[in-house]
Amino acid sequence: MMEKITVLLVDDEKDFLSTMAKRLGKRGLNPLRAETGEAAIDLLKHQPVDVVVLDVKMPGMDGIATLREIKKIDPLIEVIMLTGHASVEAAIQGMELGAFDYLMKPTEIDELCYKLEDAYRKKNLQEQKIRQMERQWK
Amino acid sequence: MGFMAFLKKLTTRRKPEDTADVEALRIDFKERYHHFKLLLNANSNALSAMADMEKALSGIYPFSMSFVRSRCTQVSVNVFQMIQHMHKLAPGKFPALDERFVHIRHELDSVFKAEKQIPDKRLVIPFKDIHREMADIVGNKMANLGEIRNKTRFPVPPGFALSTYACDRFFEHNGLQMEIDRKLQAVDGDDLQVLYQLSSEIQQLIIRSSVPDDLKDAMQEAWREISGNGERPLKVALRSSALGEDAAGSSFAGQYLSALNVGVEDFFDAYKEVVASKYSLPAMSYRLSRGIRDEDVLMSVGCMAMVEAVSGGVAYSRNPVDMQDGGVFINSAWGLPKSVVDGTTDCDILVVSRETPMKVIHRSIADKARKYVCYPEEGVCRMDLTEDDRRRNLSVTEEQAVSLAGIAVSLEEYYGFPVDMEWALDPDGNLLVLQCRPLMLKEKAGEPLSEAENAKNPEAVIVKGGITASPGAASGVVHKVEKGADVLMFPQGAVLVTDQALPRWAPLINRAAAVITGQGGFAGHLANVTREFGVPGLFGVSGILEKVGNGEMITVDADRLTVYRGKVEVPRTFPAAKSVMAGSPVYEILKQAAGSIVPLNLLDPDSRDFTASNCRTFHDITRFIHEKSVQEMFNFGKEHHFPERSSKQLYDKVPMQWWILNLDDGFSEEITGRYVRLENIACAPMLAFWEGFAAIPWEGPPAIDGGGFASVMFRATADTALTTGVRSKYSDRNYFMISKNFCSLSSRLGFHFSIMEALVSRRISENYITFQFKGGAANFERKLKRVIFIGEILEQYGFRVDIHEDNLVSRIEGREEPYMLDRMKILGYLTLHTRQLDMIMANPGRVAYYRSKIEKDIERLIQTG
Repeated sequence: MMEKITVLLVDDEKDFLSTMAKRLGKRGLNPLRAETGEAAIDLLKHQPVDVVVLDVKMPGMDGIATLREIKKIDPLIEVIMLTGHASVEAAIQGMELGAFDYLMKPTEIDELCYKLEDAYRKKNLQEQKIRQMERQWK
Repeated sequence: MGFMAFLKKLTTRRKPEDTADVEALRIDFKERYHHFKLLLNANSNALSAMADMEKALSGIYPFSMSFVRSRCTQVSVNVFQMIQHMHKLAPGKFPALDERFVHIRHELDSVFKAEKQIPDKRLVIPFKDIHREMADIVGNKMANLGEIRNKTRFPVPPGFALSTYACDRFFEHNGLQMEIDRKLQAVDGDDLQVLYQLSSEIQQLIIRSSVPDDLKDAMQEAWREISGNGERPLKVALRSSALGEDAAGSSFAGQYLSALNVGVEDFFDAYKEVVASKYSLPAMSYRLSRGIRDEDVLMSVGCMAMVEAVSGGVAYSRNPVDMQDGGVFINSAWGLPKSVVDGTTDCDILVVSRETPMKVIHRSIADKARKYVCYPEEGVCRMDLTEDDRRRNLSVTEEQAVSLAGIAVSLEEYYGFPVDMEWALDPDGNLLVLQCRPLMLKEKAGEPLSEAENAKNPEAVIVKGGITASPGAASGVVHKVEKGADVLMFPQGAVLVTDQALPRWAPLINRAAAVITGQGGFAGHLANVTREFGVPGLFGVSGILEKVGNGEMITVDADRLTVYRGKVEVPRTFPAAKSVMAGSPVYEILKQAAGSIVPLNLLDPDSRDFTASNCRTFHDITRFIHEKSVQEMFNFGKEHHFPERSSKQLYDKVPMQWWILNLDDGFSEEITGRYVRLENIACAPMLAFWEGFAAIPWEGPPAIDGGGFASVMFRATADTALTTGVRSKYSDRNYFMISKNFCSLSSRLGFHFSIMEALVSRRISENYITFQFKGGAANFERKLKRVIFIGEILEQYGFRVDIHEDNLVSRIEGREEPYMLDRMKILGYLTLHTRQLDMIMANPGRVAYYRSKIEKDIERLIQTG
């Protein structure tokens, strides 16, 4: 079974946020919400999150800037970029900044869940590895 | 890491005695496997986007820029991921991949660059300042009209244009483009139902938006100017004047809204409606099917003082269906020219000779049942005409017709191409030019059939009559269209039968085999669109709706004005319609982008040229990485003396010649010994494969030894070369790499070589199986026959099969778990049973026998599963 993955959804579209949060909740995930990049950063400073689903185009702090900040707070947090505006350039920029994946709206909910699981597993394995290395060095 | 540290690490790895090391190694394996799995996913995603692109390149299906952008992005992102995962699996081993990626990505960037810049920042431009070179600011329609007014001095009503910049400003003010692009990306393909929904959403979005003040001010000022500071009562007609209409020789006939007789207080409501009509269903489906980029179509709106026309219509400087014909065609009806343009009523046709003195050489007077007039307040209304209303009288005098012909010919000379000109006659008797654009011409249709030929099928003739709106002939089943909902039900390849030739039916034209209308002539928008798409059109066939029934097969011969019952062979007079996508701007962009993505140059993994730096396309990169990642995964297991993760020999009652490498969770428990028993294998796809492999013994050609071939396969040999301790190239033997949901098999059975890879889990969209097969002991021709034989069986069970020489590559993807596992059984079965089929390939009787046996076996195998 899927472990309880804490997911932070960041999107300026409220309808999208609430629908997505509801559906992810039903699939056994723990969804949090933020309507701006700034709000997301604030939240991440106080609350542990496994994976962030980040809209690319938002007023104020956009997706790319938010991604940069997230990786500064904790490089192990995985970020999945979600966009309504496919662009090779923007996509690769996001990937180079360490995004886990770059998906195009509309994304099927199952598809997104798989990505969330994969991203979570990646994070999990990295954490295990770090813990293991710490033990060996002691 | 220093050399000593490296050595130390190596030694600790080789003897993982303490549990911490074992644990570290386990995590290492798990992490590597996760990278490998993500790499395979990315590979699958990239390949499927490439397959979409290849399909689109056939030019048969319409697609949009957002399709091109999203597929290119999908490939790029997934190739990027593959490279990252490859670096994790083999750190520092393939640095050239990054350089190749950046290079190819820059090639792609240059394809998508070339943003459109609007050079002029004026929001509103009066007609007096507009000329022909301003098409990028006010659209072709208004640029032409300004030119006529200012250069040729033919009379044009006063007016002004809201520029493309004004529209840009309006969109930007409301953040519209972003929202629209988002909606557009959300749908793919050309499903009319989806497009319909999308079209109405976008149009509503635009209509609900607010107009910025600077645009309002600029409009008011222009309004004051042409109304003499409000002294003259003024109503205007708003007409779209879009950019990009010239692209791919397209006409954009009648897709956009015009708003007639609009007062100042409702001006911007009308403006928004006209601008929104860029996303009308006809306009959207038209751009899609002609490969025109949305962003290339910028909307300018012309506002022209309304003419309360006594009569009006369209003049052609040439015969649109026969450019050799010297006549000038004047189409005319009572009231506003709208009825002629829309094709909603029959109109008078006068043909004027080109030679001076010009005179009317032909006239046909139509019974004009209705006309459009301006309401006193605002808007227009349709009036039915009675006999007293001169409905059977000529709506334009011969003298006026000659004047109009004179203007049309002058404009043709001025512009250097035949023109299509909308005109109106005002209450004072002045002729005014309302619009002028290039005339779409068609080659002359074939000669009429002789009477003798015509008599061949007299009993099949349903009706004769009407006019050729677009030449050609075609058969199809009747689908009548009377209301909007009928559009959504329209089957591909049907004959569109409708009463009025309304522009709203235009989205159906490229789906229709032919079009018949009860009313309307060749001057209407719908007629233009049928000509543009090369779809035969027979218009003005009165009573056609009563003469044919829905679902009935008929043949339409537009050239000879005849409709037949059933499918009738009529001699073609015109080449068949060709794909309109090829050569279009969107198609060209896809083609260019695909050039950096789709071609595969790295074909042979054993070749010296199979290197990272030789990757020239994204496809090369995926091919290269896939091959190398499988090798890396395999070697990693071998290089570590880690009993859990070295390969195990399969034990199914007896030891088998199959070795299994557990990548992650492929065994139900940790196995430390030499063998793994079948019951300890947790890999569903491998178990399915094995079930198919072991189910039905080979009864085939003469036994190699006393026990038959099957016994060779199933009995362990004492050959020491096959034990785990001895190194050999992995492809020389039968190796499975497995996890719970994944298995990869390289096998060399006898003389043939196969590679199979499968990912099967509850994640339906990620599921795939690939199977490659090559070689054999027989001569080339028989090998080839066998490959084709196997390919046919695979295709029968849903695989996509590609064969190059004697090399077969097949793939199936995106199906649910039980279906995929059945396919694994089939591959297992085929791996055993086709082994020596090349021996019997020369004998058709034997081939047929085996074919039917194989099909029966497979059916049994799948059912029992």
